[in-house]
Amino acid sequence: MYDAPNLGAKVDQKAIKISAKNCQVYYGDTHAIKDVDIEIEDKTVTAFIGPSGCGKSTFLRCLNRMNDTIDICRVEGDILLDGEDIYDKKVDPVQLRAKVGMVFQKPNPFPKSIYDNIAYGPRIHGLARNKADLDEIVEKSLRRGAIWDEVKDRLHSPGTGLSGGQQQRLCIARAVATEPEVLLMDEPCSALDPIATAQVEELIDELRTQYSVVIVTHSMQQAARVSQKTAFFHLGNLVEYDDTGTIFTNPRDERTESYITGRIG
Amino acid sequence: MNDRHIVSAFDADLEKVQAHIMKMGGLVEEAILDASKSLKNRDEELAEQVRNNDKAIDALEELINDECIKLIALRAPAAIDLRVALSVLKIAGNLERIGDYAKNMAKRTSVLVHMAPVEGARGALRRMAREVQLMLKDALDAYIQRDAELARDILERDRDIDQMYNALFREFLTFMMEDPRYITPCMHLHFIAKNTERMGDHVTSIAEQVIYLVTGELPDDTRPREDHYDPALSVEK
Repeated sequence: MYDAPNLGAKVDQKAIKISAKNCQVYYGDTHAIKDVDIEIEDKTVTAFIGPSGCGKSTFLRCLNRMNDTIDICRVEGDILLDGEDIYDKKVDPVQLRAKVGMVFQKPNPFPKSIYDNIAYGPRIHGLARNKADLDEIVEKSLRRGAIWDEVKDRLHSPGTGLSGGQQQRLCIARAVATEPEVLLMDEPCSALDPIATAQVEELIDELRTQYSVVIVTHSMQQAARVSQKTAFFHLGNLVEYDDTGTIFTNPRDERTESYITGRIG
Repeated sequence: MNDRHIVSAFDADLEKVQAHIMKMGGLVEEAILDASKSLKNRDEELAEQVRNNDKAIDALEELINDECIKLIALRAPAAIDLRVALSVLKIAGNLERIGDYAKNMAKRTSVLVHMAPVEGARGALRRMAREVQLMLKDALDAYIQRDAELARDILERDRDIDQMYNALFREFLTFMMEDPRYITPCMHLHFIAKNTERMGDHVTSIAEQVIYLVTGELPDDTRPREDHYDPALSVEK
């Protein structure tokens, strides 16, 4: 045997986790997302940035069919998760959302104990055979959410009694409890103080080793800090999608440059 | 792209630091011209003045550095704004070095006026300095006008400066071989020539910063260098 020649393949090329093609979203007559094509890489943090109303949250919500819950919302085009169309009739949205977890802007723990907040998803998806299994999932998830040490002695007190930053990490722990493959985050730090924000950002960086993370953020500095890829949305269009370093030092599109430098777009 | 920031104080900060760069550039141009004039006219007083004026150039560099540090820390500039902050820092450094070379030329002039003049050399040195000063003026114009083409042109022109230096080097060598009494003045004149050639390199570096500022990339092809004769390495016995 001899070594096969490297035929110029990029060594650090990541697998594509989600791929959207000609994606359109309408709210009634409003065309909110226009012809978006994007390939989101596995084990990468991808940031969506853009001014309010540009469609970044709408597009994020397409990725786990959260828009299904809005009656007037219509999604066209293909969104493929590992090559399979998530809008196919055979796909159960509940199962899909277990694979594509979501964390919202405001921490929204269930009005239950910390333990039950985490155990809820695994229970309904039947991921645990017995109590010991479930205990293990809860501990593992809380550790991944970087909050285990802070709550391990009060697992049965209410999740809503935690501080804002802790609640958000609890929600992230809850999202990872169902062993998702993709984690969507819609402005996960906008309600947090700088310390809690830094903790969540550190957590996002750790989560990247196992998941594909997509984060919507209004803080460009946050996008620059946590992501490897950045997509800039403007008026429903995906204007530019590139390595985060490129977007923030030398973007190709003038609209991107206007936005990230704080000029009126 | 829109020219103005939403936060107008950001624009004011950027304009201020760039105005300081232009002011510094003006002082450095003046220093080159005055230093070469003092050399040509054997004017010790003017040389002394150039040496004193260098303090103002150094002070401006420090001011620009401080302003850039504040700009980066407080405004977190991105893209073009970041490139402005970085290029301004580097250009200020280049200008400061050019200023030092002009000061050194003035210093050597103060020594040279007390020696027998070397025929022809001072005129050639003045032309060389004049050419460098024009290149600097164009580099600063290219900076303010964001003109990458003009900046690329300067990269080419630096080759002429190198050739002028090589010619002067041979001339000084000939003088010194002919008459050892010329060794001291010719050594001074040679350092002046070499320093002027180095000024040209710093101007080239400013032009490269302009290209980086405008395009976001440094010119990848290092300037077309002929297989040129390096006099310092092939001195005949």
